[in-house]
Amino acid sequence: MSNMNPAAEPSTSRETSPGGGKARRTLYILIAAAILFIVIAIAARNAIGPFPEAWNIHLDDAIDEAQSWVIGNRNTHPVFRYFFDPISDFIDSLLRGVEGALIAAPWPAVILAIFFIAFKLSGRKVAYLATVGLLLMGVFDLWDESMQTIALMAVSVVIALAFGIPIGILSARSDRLQAILRPFLDAMQTLPAFVYLIPVVLLFGIARVPSVVATVIYALPPAIRLTDMGIRQVPADITEAADAYGSTEWQKLIKVQLPLAMPAILVGVNQTIMMALGIVVIAALIGAPGLGLVVYEALRRQHVGQALQAGIAIVLIAIVFDRISVGFSRESEASLRNLKPLTGEEMAVRRRNNVIYWVGAAVTLGLVWVAHRTLVDMSDFPAMLQFSIAKPVDASVRWMRDNLYQIGDLPIGTGPFSDFITIWLLNPLRGLLTDWLPWPVVIAGFALLAYLTSGWKLALFTAASLFFLGLMGLWEMSMDTLSQVLVAVFISVLIGIPLGVLAARSDRFEALLRPVLDFLQTIPTFVYLVPVIMLFNVGRVPGIMASVLYAIPPVIRLTNLGIRRVETEIIEAAEAFGSTPRQMLFKVQLPLAMPSIMMGVNQTMMMVLAMVVIAGLVGGGALGLEAVTGLAKSQVGRGMQAGLAIVILAIILDRITQGWAKQQRVG
Amino acid sequence: MEQPKPAEKVVCRGLWKVFGPQPNRTIDLLKEGQTKAEVLAETGHVVAVRDVSFSVMEGETFVVMGLSGSGKSTLLRCLPRLIDPTRGQVLIDGQDIAHLDAKALREVRRHKMSMVFQHFGLFPHRKLIDNVAYGLEVQGVGKKERHARAREVLELVNLGGWENHYPGQLSGGMQQRVGLARALAVDPEILLFDEPFSALDPLIRREMQDELISLQNQMHKTLIFITHDFAEAIKLGDRIAIMKGGSLVQVGTPEEVVMNPADEYVREFTQDAPRGKVLTARAIMQPAAPGFTGQGEPAPVTTPLEQLLALVIDREEAVPVVDEQGELVGVIHRRDVLAALQSNGQR
Ligand SMILES: Nc1ncnc2c1ncn2[C@@H]1O[C@H](COP(=O)(O)OP(=O)(O)O)[C@@H](O)[C@H]1O
Ligand SMILES: [Mg+2]
Repeated sequence: MSNMNPAAEPSTSRETSPGGGKARRTLYILIAAAILFIVIAIAARNAIGPFPEAWNIHLDDAIDEAQSWVIGNRNTHPVFRYFFDPISDFIDSLLRGVEGALIAAPWPAVILAIFFIAFKLSGRKVAYLATVGLLLMGVFDLWDESMQTIALMAVSVVIALAFGIPIGILSARSDRLQAILRPFLDAMQTLPAFVYLIPVVLLFGIARVPSVVATVIYALPPAIRLTDMGIRQVPADITEAADAYGSTEWQKLIKVQLPLAMPAILVGVNQTIMMALGIVVIAALIGAPGLGLVVYEALRRQHVGQALQAGIAIVLIAIVFDRISVGFSRESEASLRNLKPLTGEEMAVRRRNNVIYWVGAAVTLGLVWVAHRTLVDMSDFPAMLQFSIAKPVDASVRWMRDNLYQIGDLPIGTGPFSDFITIWLLNPLRGLLTDWLPWPVVIAGFALLAYLTSGWKLALFTAASLFFLGLMGLWEMSMDTLSQVLVAVFISVLIGIPLGVLAARSDRFEALLRPVLDFLQTIPTFVYLVPVIMLFNVGRVPGIMASVLYAIPPVIRLTNLGIRRVETEIIEAAEAFGSTPRQMLFKVQLPLAMPSIMMGVNQTMMMVLAMVVIAGLVGGGALGLEAVTGLAKSQVGRGMQAGLAIVILAIILDRITQGWAKQQRVG
Repeated sequence: MEQPKPAEKVVCRGLWKVFGPQPNRTIDLLKEGQTKAEVLAETGHVVAVRDVSFSVMEGETFVVMGLSGSGKSTLLRCLPRLIDPTRGQVLIDGQDIAHLDAKALREVRRHKMSMVFQHFGLFPHRKLIDNVAYGLEVQGVGKKERHARAREVLELVNLGGWENHYPGQLSGGMQQRVGLARALAVDPEILLFDEPFSALDPLIRREMQDELISLQNQMHKTLIFITHDFAEAIKLGDRIAIMKGGSLVQVGTPEEVVMNPADEYVREFTQDAPRGKVLTARAIMQPAAPGFTGQGEPAPVTTPLEQLLALVIDREEAVPVVDEQGELVGVIHRRDVLAALQSNGQR
């Protein structure tokens, strides 16, 4: 006998898990929609055909025309003569100064100077690491290129901070300004680095100056954001006290707000440095000198060993500057937290020790300089100490290609792996998006997805901007790129979520994983190409593997974090009811961690998109290659169109996954 | 000779503060008879201070008491214009501070009044001495001079020798001493306290109250003191203003408030008041019958209830009550004392 009221059951289940019910409804709608599309697609496939050529609006021609105008008027038009040229000249002379000084200075002096700074700011270990790293650059005969890269980065960072920190201060003082800036900063952080290169080429031409301009703009957001945040985080009662005692705004800023915001500002400096380094290397695409250019040229000529050396040098620079600046910001935070009561004398002693340290450092550098001028010329790293790993690397790459491509007669090895991904994932998805589904169906499909995740506004935007891809004549290429992006995200998620789950369940594994992820996130995008090209040669799959390596950390981290953040009480409750670990994972932990995981997926997706152009360099083709070719051949119109298409894809995918993540949170 | 009449140091007239984008419209709605809750529900405006008027005499300790959220902090912050009032006047020494420009306002904040905060509001990155010297520093006083003064004030609040410590290393009570020292260092005429002792343990709190009283006995400054603790209000206040939902419901001496609570809300607070200490002969005496001459030692009108109790305990006859000049002004019977002690404000 049952007392259960049949009508009550579904309603209670909906009440207890409204999110689940909604998600299931969404899923049903999705499946129904998919089936509907396929039916329509089959019916319409022949009738519609490819995106009509005749509709092409020839945006690239218009841009090229603009560029010709720029080139023709660069020397005469007042906008250039009185605005862009002075900027350009200023940056150029600053950069030449720094670069010249670094290259002309005796190499031991450069190493010692960086040693002294690193030692003081971040301690002994970082100082040694910096020394070894710099020596290695000399050993690889990459000294001058390394100095060029460091100079480019340093100049860009200084300019970015000179703008970013004051803008951040203003933004902290005005909610209006903050509200105006926010969408720009958000958009800037969605855009892949190389996108900044294209328009600056239009205005500043190629080589170093546009590289600096692009870097400054790209690296600006963290400086602004973290200065703003640091100042706003100063507790209200402390700023109020400053007001109550009659401080002027300036006094309040200098004596109270900035000192307390310093740790956050320095985190911003660190992020600015890392972003600058990331783009400075890619700027090789528009002719920026330095290590990036070495990698780029070496890859083009298939000199993998040479590319690897330069790649190692880039990674070393990234790690050293990351450690130095992180050390600096930690130091500043720690010094705010454990302020020690020092008497006047102790302070004086400390100050004296500091003076002695820096004077000692200066004297040492001076001695090196004198020795350089009088005893031995140290402007070039001694050839005697140089050593190249290029040959052995090339040899081992050849060996790997011969032997790992297919191991014995077994269906394992990089070749079958590549084939598997190409045949089972890439080709079907690309086929679906380009040949099989007519373009209006694809547009409608994405618009529906946008509608379901975030509403009709995004749906309209999605439809319009996808249509625009067609109007630029880039429909097929966009769908090709999209298929590669989706496959890379799929693989990242497939590997990343289980790793995140494991990390959440084992502190040991998490401790092992963390430095690896830190390392992966320190490496500039460009460098990922080197190892994958060693293993996979060129093609779409190596591009995808590089993207996965680069983009996988967030999904691992945020899965781990999401699961670890589930409240202990909830876990205990689940345990008290006798859940198995498996039930616990699937019924409690994963559902509760979903919003966090979705955030990870979103970040991973954005990072994959940032790799599209890089992947284009190793045979990913499609939009990435188009952008690179446009830049390389100075066909700005072509490059810009492709860049715009990538941006459109980035924005659509970002908004859709964010909308989805938000639904998870609310539901 | 008559003592000079104490001047009105701080005056508030018809002060309003409404939080929200259209505060003035909201006040008009309220004046048309809408309730605060309706206004909040319909327009999202919060009425924090509602038509408050009072004046504080020079040298007086004026306590504003009320439950959390009743608008005390907002009211206090309107005085140095840390919050700009929506309507009404604030006069400091007769000067309307609404009309001061930024510079003149800073001068008032630097020299006239200083403030002690509930959560101390100390600068965590500055040594105690530089916290205390902050007010002087922003005035442009030289380092030697301001440090000398800061050291002096730190001695005054029993923190001599702690100059080089940082606030984070101190207990709450010590931090609030620093807050007090910082306020005293600029030698202001008016001190504003926003629940300065609420964050402290009860024992420390009592100690700090006693210290403040003894300091005030030497300084004779004008104090405006916010608290949500009625016992504290009675202990410190020359006069108490009781605040409810943004309005003042009663202003008076502790005795007046305990004897004649204006409404149920105030009566609730007075329940636990230490009546033996607060009430005096003046409050409970009866008119003397015509021709009453009285016997035995007379009691002054200011005698607190707990001492009267000792007087009447084994005395059947009424005790005569005399004023400062020794004139008979009333009598007290044992039953009056007992009734006053027992009645929880119900008379
Ligand atoms: N900046 C503000 N914006 C909006 N509402 C506020 C603001 N400051 C205070 N309030 C509101 O005003 C009312 C009074 O607050 P407050 O003066 O802090 O009360 P109290 O100090 O008596 O606890 C509260 O309802 C509070 O939420
Ligand atoms: Mg308050």
